[in-house]
Amino acid sequence: MLMKMSYSMGKKIRAIVFLINLLLSTLCLNAQVTIAGKVTDTKGNPVPSATIAIKNTTFATASDENGMYSIATPLKAGALEVNFSSVGLKSDLRRISAIIGSNTIDVSLADDILGLDQVVVTGTTAGTTRKQLGSFISTVKSDQLNKGAPANALQALQGKTAGAQIIQNSGDPAGGMSVRLRGISTVNASSEPLYIVDGIIVNNATNRVTNTQSGFDGANFVGSVGQSRMVDINPADIDRVEVLNGAAASAIYGSRANSGVIQIFTKRGASGKPTINFSTNYISSSLRKQVDINQAPTKFGGPTDGPGAQTQDILTPSLTNTTAVTRQNYWDYIFRNAAGTDNNISISGGNDNTKYYASASYFFNQGIVQNTDFQRYSFRVNLDQKISKILSMSVGLNYVNSAANEKPDGNSFFSPMNGITILGNFHDIWKRDANGNLLAVGERGRINPVSIIEDFDQQQETNRILTSVGLKLKPFKGFMVDYTMGIDNYSQNGTTFIPPYMYNASPGFWGGGPSLDPTQNGYASAATNSFFQINHEINGTYQFEINENLSSISQVGYQLQYEKNNYLLSQGRGLAPGIQTVNGASTLLPGVDSRSELTIQGAYIQQNFKWKNEFFVTGAIRYDQSSVFGPNQRNQLYYKASASWVASEAKWWQNSSVSKWWDLAKIRFAYGQSGNLTGIGAYDRFNTYTSNAYLGRTALQSLARAANIEVKPERQDELEVGADFAFLKSRLTLTANVYVKKVNDLLINRNVSPTTGFSTLLDNFGALENKGFEIVLGGTPIQSKDFRWDISWLFSQNRNKATKIGQALTLFSTNGGAPVAIIEGRPIGVFFGTFFATDANGVPLKNPAGIPLIERGTQNGPLSNTPGRGVDGLPSGTTLRRIIGDPNPDFTTTLINTFGYKRLNFRIQFDAVKGVDVFNADWRTRQGVGNGEIAEKEHKGELPRGYISGVYPIEEWRIDDGSFIKLRELSLSYNLGNLGKVVRDMNIVVAGRNLVSFDNYKGFDPEVNAGGQSTLLRGIDFGPVPIPRTLTFGINCKF
Amino acid sequence: MKKIHKLIHMKRILKVSWAITSLALTLVILSGCEKNFTDPNNASSDVVFNSVRGITGVAIGLQRTYTAGRASNLYNKITTDGFTTKQFFIVNRGNIPEDQLERGGGFVDGTNTILAGLWTSSNKIIYDANNVLEATAKLGDKAYASGLIGYTTIFKALAIADMAMFWEQVPTGIGVNISFKPRVDGFKEAITEIDKALAVIQATPISAAFTANVPAGIEIQNTLRALKARFALFAGDYALANTTANSVNLSTKSVFTFNGVNQNPIFETVTATNNVYQPVDSTLGLPVAIAPDLADQRIPFYLTVNPTIAPRFRTRGFARDGLFEMPLWTPGEMLLIRAESLTRQASPNLTEAQNILNQVITKTSATDLYALGAGLPAIITPLSQADLLAQIYRNRCIELFMFGLKLEDMRRFNRPNSERGRNLMPYPFRERDSNPNTPADPPF
Repeated sequence: MLMKMSYSMGKKIRAIVFLINLLLSTLCLNAQVTIAGKVTDTKGNPVPSATIAIKNTTFATASDENGMYSIATPLKAGALEVNFSSVGLKSDLRRISAIIGSNTIDVSLADDILGLDQVVVTGTTAGTTRKQLGSFISTVKSDQLNKGAPANALQALQGKTAGAQIIQNSGDPAGGMSVRLRGISTVNASSEPLYIVDGIIVNNATNRVTNTQSGFDGANFVGSVGQSRMVDINPADIDRVEVLNGAAASAIYGSRANSGVIQIFTKRGASGKPTINFSTNYISSSLRKQVDINQAPTKFGGPTDGPGAQTQDILTPSLTNTTAVTRQNYWDYIFRNAAGTDNNISISGGNDNTKYYASASYFFNQGIVQNTDFQRYSFRVNLDQKISKILSMSVGLNYVNSAANEKPDGNSFFSPMNGITILGNFHDIWKRDANGNLLAVGERGRINPVSIIEDFDQQQETNRILTSVGLKLKPFKGFMVDYTMGIDNYSQNGTTFIPPYMYNASPGFWGGGPSLDPTQNGYASAATNSFFQINHEINGTYQFEINENLSSISQVGYQLQYEKNNYLLSQGRGLAPGIQTVNGASTLLPGVDSRSELTIQGAYIQQNFKWKNEFFVTGAIRYDQSSVFGPNQRNQLYYKASASWVASEAKWWQNSSVSKWWDLAKIRFAYGQSGNLTGIGAYDRFNTYTSNAYLGRTALQSLARAANIEVKPERQDELEVGADFAFLKSRLTLTANVYVKKVNDLLINRNVSPTTGFSTLLDNFGALENKGFEIVLGGTPIQSKDFRWDISWLFSQNRNKATKIGQALTLFSTNGGAPVAIIEGRPIGVFFGTFFATDANGVPLKNPAGIPLIERGTQNGPLSNTPGRGVDGLPSGTTLRRIIGDPNPDFTTTLINTFGYKRLNFRIQFDAVKGVDVFNADWRTRQGVGNGEIAEKEHKGELPRGYISGVYPIEEWRIDDGSFIKLRELSLSYNLGNLGKVVRDMNIVVAGRNLVSFDNYKGFDPEVNAGGQSTLLRGIDFGPVPIPRTLTFGINCKF
Repeated sequence: MKKIHKLIHMKRILKVSWAITSLALTLVILSGCEKNFTDPNNASSDVVFNSVRGITGVAIGLQRTYTAGRASNLYNKITTDGFTTKQFFIVNRGNIPEDQLERGGGFVDGTNTILAGLWTSSNKIIYDANNVLEATAKLGDKAYASGLIGYTTIFKALAIADMAMFWEQVPTGIGVNISFKPRVDGFKEAITEIDKALAVIQATPISAAFTANVPAGIEIQNTLRALKARFALFAGDYALANTTANSVNLSTKSVFTFNGVNQNPIFETVTATNNVYQPVDSTLGLPVAIAPDLADQRIPFYLTVNPTIAPRFRTRGFARDGLFEMPLWTPGEMLLIRAESLTRQASPNLTEAQNILNQVITKTSATDLYALGAGLPAIITPLSQADLLAQIYRNRCIELFMFGLKLEDMRRFNRPNSERGRNLMPYPFRERDSNPNTPADPPF
């Protein structure tokens, strides 16, 4: 009866038919439909790991290494729809009339340049194809990621995803990375996106287990400097990365998605015989560019060292006598040509029920600064197991050990870079006394760079386990429940050792002063950061067809996250000889014992409708809760809605002549909200007293920061409109997005009047806005049998603005002296400082000696001033300030050209950043101490004596043009193909990274940032190591 | 037919949705995760002010804020004063706030971090001191409370006076959009606070238990009197200044102490680095007419000479090593207050004033509590009022070198503007940006 009914309804209710088929077929096991065949690409190469799924059933498989597949099903003969899909290729839906027994379908899948048929895992569960999405999500596949010799996963993403500004903040071999998706989305906390690796929320914190000295205190003073923990993810394990730029796409992630989401999926096994992949690379790094060095034969004042030494001659204009000196290039001493290797081996394979991927990796890379390096061991196992027809499980386990030999980071004058920057280049730093001890450099207690390179010992090591377990239950047709648990657990340990100096070193640099005070001389510290995070996620999805044209997907989900972080520091100074640990310290410095815990939970409901393949509509509501905020503020609701129309799927389009050359036209619209439930620290809402040991007693002090106990999470609203077009059989593709992203209830730890008893107040003071557009243009100008030329062009422009901060100006004082400000109506983090006085025509005013002058007059407000002139026509009044620079780029753009000729492949990628101002503190210091090119002019008399001393306090003098065009990636590979029975495939690759930079920058590298991963401190050049030029040579083999 | 099917489907959607929703809800309820974590790193103010140890800790925090490191009031006021009165020269112009102070005039503006630090820490001290003073009322142990009040008042009075010495107007208290009052009222407020504390101590002497619980070095009762005498002089109440200074027991030492972790802030930043500032020379910045006598033994006390490496004259004094104690007041200052008060009072007593001045001039390192002695012969010839004032000014500049009091003296002794970089300081932008009641900056 039931059977009859279902048949009578025919195709219209195919859904039920197959459910019943399924039920029945379990009873008649003899009847078997087997579908088998081969999947190839347009060139005839086999496509491994393609997914072959019979629609509206739970039967699916994947192709093996040779593109072969086979599905044996208990389905009845009749009409079936079989879908073939693979990452990077257009999927193909075949309708067949299946017969009992063997059915053969061979398919050839075309390149999917826009990736419209890619399955995107937006948030959860089964995922959806890009075609259906109302928002822009970019996907970067492994073959695009790893061509340009990246040292870590985020370097690999540089220039490959629209709307992202990915910055390497330091050229250290484990240098931290910053990612800004559509600009800055918060001020108070990290503006880094949420990272998810195989469902695990992965911590990307910067923990200060080295550089622990007290001079480094304060997040808005030096920023967030050092390794960021994404460095632990081995780029070779990555299968693809999905980037969600803003709330419109990431709303489903709710509470932590304010700065966007980056989802990383690692490689998994495919059924077939075991495949072994082996790759080995040799890495060579070197300094890309030298800075100009003072070559003047004399200095002002007396001798360079010993009695009567006068080191800082330039800034004392009263010194006019000269002394002959021999100029040195210390940079040559600290930099070297560095070497490294990157070795990966993986084995993958499986059968229909069990699939595995296991890999081992060893990465070692020297830094271009002597005695620095980074190494990483990584082991990974990904296992997929089908437990029963309706239940499958996946397990991922990743163990990482990463270790670095470091030198102090830039923000100190005992770091390799700044140790030299602060030194006149006329000392013989290598000279030793009769006992073999280094000598003081000048009379100011500065650190001899040889001590830094040879004697300082600073190390850190991280042991990390990332593990995930996933369960997928498909109890009946169209319904699926999945559960994921992820754990991220690491322990990061650092040690710092500055041996007692044998010469006059300033106590500020952990020396003992002129007397070599044994209670102060030398520094040792040990610090540990332990982090544990567990996240649970459960989702239910129900998918069905309402009628022939209309189908529905409903989803509900719940997430729970718990995080615990403990940081412990022990430190001391005044070290005993021969002891590198804190035990040797005669003066124990205050330790740090800092602990935090937080939980976040949330639930959502999402509904999606699809009309034909033409219209798609999605709506969702999410509810979140965070322990970070007070009981009245911790519960938040977020909404999202999106719609898209694929015009090219319409009948009228397909029947029109346009469709002959215009393959795809899609218009989309998305709106979403998200929050920042980790926008403040775990206990930041409390007003508390902090304790310090003081003179043998405990001192309690109220914090400098007051907080509104009722502070609430920031809330983002993003509206995005976009379009995707493809022409000429997808040989020309265009994607464009326009967005407006507004953050309200912006959390600012803002300056308040000290007469309130506090320096700053943390509250929801403001609002900010990011507006911009992104263009992704792809083309294949030439495509022939042997030769292929692909072009890809990305362009992103973002305009950031603090729309409200509740006061006119908040100015931060920073370690590098950069006057970083938040000003209402202006981009976040502009430089607000003193500037050159000019006449009405913009010509700099000079005093009679010919030295430019600082502008003075009356400051009417932050953005308004009236220059004053004395009777002599020179500036008078108080020092004036204005916005002198903006570290936010006007635009970023990338051009990638790929050429393939037979087995030869050549790829070249240029990244450009325009309109960035850098606060070049180092360049100015080099002039002040007399080792730079302007100092040379003053020494040689080409500039008036006192020139540098005169312009030294003018902050505008330090603003430098940080725009650049970099030859980011270059690779040339040759495929040797199948080399007999053992080696099935072999590639030889030569690649380069950051090879050339076209810029007008006066320092080493305009891209690095002394503020590290800080949100607020951008574009500050105060001692960061420049990014090296890297060349690699590698061999990849497949067995 | 279609409609019926739709209905069936709708029902199914509902059913499944319910199932999923209830599953999700169950999980939410079951998980019942902890949402109220307490901060293990810091203490809430309720807890702090509910125990004697907590209140004492906050009081000790006042001393830490006042004396620890380069951010302390001690460093900030000595540095501001020393540059503004041209006693120091900058060794490295990379120290921007110090450089601005040396250049003086319009180069000193609301961004100056030394001035902002002095302003901020002073207000912080007043804020926390008010909390301590309020909490002491609840204490049963009156002898302990007496110590807390005395000790806390020292820092509160110093903080108020530090602002009154450098700014034309001072805040009337702690709060949002606080109003301002003339700086002389700041000194008067400090005196009122001290009087209250002295009355409490008079009624119930400080217990030994309290003294043992705070860092050693500060003798509370005489320090309160000495500070009262100083502020009375600054406020122009010469009779009060004279009697109060006379009431101070000059043989009691009262000092800020330091250790290896928290070193003497002037030593740590100035003496040890030779990279921030140094004294201009052995004149201590005084004009030729009143420059120190070449035989004045206070010069080798305060300065040391480095014959080989520049600069020749280096700081010494109370910043000669990291552990060296810094007095809150000296017997010499009390004598000079008396001498000046007697000279300036409505009916001057010049003879007595000169006698007292001579005590300062003639004392030797062997007889002085801090080994600070000029060791010069007494001035025998009776001096006129003007000459006496000139000599008192001269001796204050030498005797109290690097005490941070010279700008106040310069104004009181009507020294010409050319001898200083500024008369009074601009208000920090931090204050002005959020407090509409911030007064206009003085032009000089």
